[in-house]
Amino acid sequence: MIAILFLSAMLSAQAPERKPDRVVTIVAERFTFNPSKVKLKQGELVEFVLVSEDTDHGFRIPSAGIDVAIPPQGRGEARVRFIAREKGRFAFECSRPCGAGHNLMRGFIEVK
Amino acid sequence: MVKIGWAVCMIGLALAAAAQAQDLSGLERRVVELEHKMRQLDPSFQAPETDLLARIEALERRMELLLAARPAPPAADSPPSAAAPGAAQPPPAPAARVPVTPLPLQPVSVSGDYQASGQGETRLPVAGYMDFHFNKDRGDSFRPDLHRFVLLFGHSFSDRIKFWSELEVEHAFIEGGEESGEVAVEQAYLDFLGTPYLNFRGGMLLTPVGIINERHEPPSFNGVERPFVESIIIPSTWRELGFGLTGDLGRGFRYRTYMISALDAGRFNAEFGIAEGRTAGFDASFRNPATVGRLEYAGVRRLTLGTSVYTGNAGFNTPGVAPRVTLLEFDGRYSFRRFDFRGLFADTWISDAGQLNQFLERETGVNPNVASRLRGYYFEPAVHLLPRRLRSDLIAFARYESYDTQYRMPSGYVPLPQFDRWSWVTGVTFKPIPDVALKFDYVFNRNRSTVVQALDSINLGIGWWF
Repeated sequence: MIAILFLSAMLSAQAPERKPDRVVTIVAERFTFNPSKVKLKQGELVEFVLVSEDTDHGFRIPSAGIDVAIPPQGRGEARVRFIAREKGRFAFECSRPCGAGHNLMRGFIEVK
Repeated sequence: MVKIGWAVCMIGLALAAAAQAQDLSGLERRVVELEHKMRQLDPSFQAPETDLLARIEALERRMELLLAARPAPPAADSPPSAAAPGAAQPPPAPAARVPVTPLPLQPVSVSGDYQASGQGETRLPVAGYMDFHFNKDRGDSFRPDLHRFVLLFGHSFSDRIKFWSELEVEHAFIEGGEESGEVAVEQAYLDFLGTPYLNFRGGMLLTPVGIINERHEPPSFNGVERPFVESIIIPSTWRELGFGLTGDLGRGFRYRTYMISALDAGRFNAEFGIAEGRTAGFDASFRNPATVGRLEYAGVRRLTLGTSVYTGNAGFNTPGVAPRVTLLEFDGRYSFRRFDFRGLFADTWISDAGQLNQFLERETGVNPNVASRLRGYYFEPAVHLLPRRLRSDLIAFARYESYDTQYRMPSGYVPLPQFDRWSWVTGVTFKPIPDVALKFDYVFNRNRSTVVQALDSINLGIGWWF
């Protein structure tokens, strides 16, 4: 029995897909991200689920080299996963011109 | 019992070994796929014919080599995000610099519908919107009007210094000296981004008052024309030269506060209140700059509440008279299931309005009858008529507006009742896609005058954002 348990543990450790420690839904709407501030713990595998309430927006995290397009309202969602390796404050922003207040559309990730 | 125990254990081991063998075979298949992909990236790659671990190590080594030949990830001097709209994947990598350290946030995967927005659409290096209207007052014929053609340009000098601008052509046609159209820089400013709470902004700025002034893309509001209250009591588009601070205070609160060029009281009048006093950056005065601030709360999904305060001396063009304009405004937007609600209230005070009227009457021979107080408000419920599963959207709305540019008069002046107005704007907005809006509305206009009759109107419009 011990051997079975040991082997099962080994096999599950080899599972290719690690489940994210946290899933955070971020809603984009001219000209806000909600939430605009996300607090994470160092080492967490995080998944952001990105949805739009109006037009398509961009989602760029320079510190992760991530830049994706968020589809317009009703056209699905984008998901990005990353590991919060280092502590610090990292900005994310809309990377697709979305209107008069585009430059205001920013947020922050705080890794503690 | 001991034999049975051994038998169970052996069966278990056999099953586990089989499962592991299956898993290893799956792993090997994935390594083969990775080797194939690596050869596509680098045709010189040769997979070693050894065990899986050695093959994975070979892949890792070659990946490191490829990464070394790739430029640094977009960081402090990354390419402008605004200039690369809709980028769905990391930009292609011309060989340039060697990365020094791994990223503080290590990307793992991108999935979902992140490429959907680019399908069937060509992304241009500029964005913009257009408003094409057919307006008809009662007893009049339809007047077509390419009301607005606006192009937006942005540039990121770095992650901390960004430029944003909006160039507008109104009514399609500009003729020297004629009031037939307008080419205007609607906004053009630099953002110097510091902390989340404190950022600096300077240039031609949209005055942060109300809903529409900073959020006026045609698909983002109902009705062919902008609300009367946000055209007359709160001018829009209201832009001034200035500088100020912006920031996100956390928990959904954010602010903007600017010092901007003052309004010109010499152009105030009875019908449009302070709206004609906008300088729009031309012949503006910064001797006594106005101050404006806005606080917004957007901490709950689909709810936005805002309040703005503006105050400034508007007498730079009226020597000896220094009227101060103070505007206080509250607004809110909320969506619940298939219903949308929005509303706004604005109150404006003009000091020394009596002296201003006397001064302008002496200068022009006409008494402008400027009020000492203006007030307006509106509320607008709307309902989405089509089921969510459909890609198109049909919104029916009704907006009640009350706007009085003669709400309180200075001593010795009588309010003109035709400028105490109210309207019902009823109509539909059809959006085949979220960025294109076909609009129709009927406007019931009324006023308190028994002599000057307000005319109802029918409006058709197409507005789109790209």
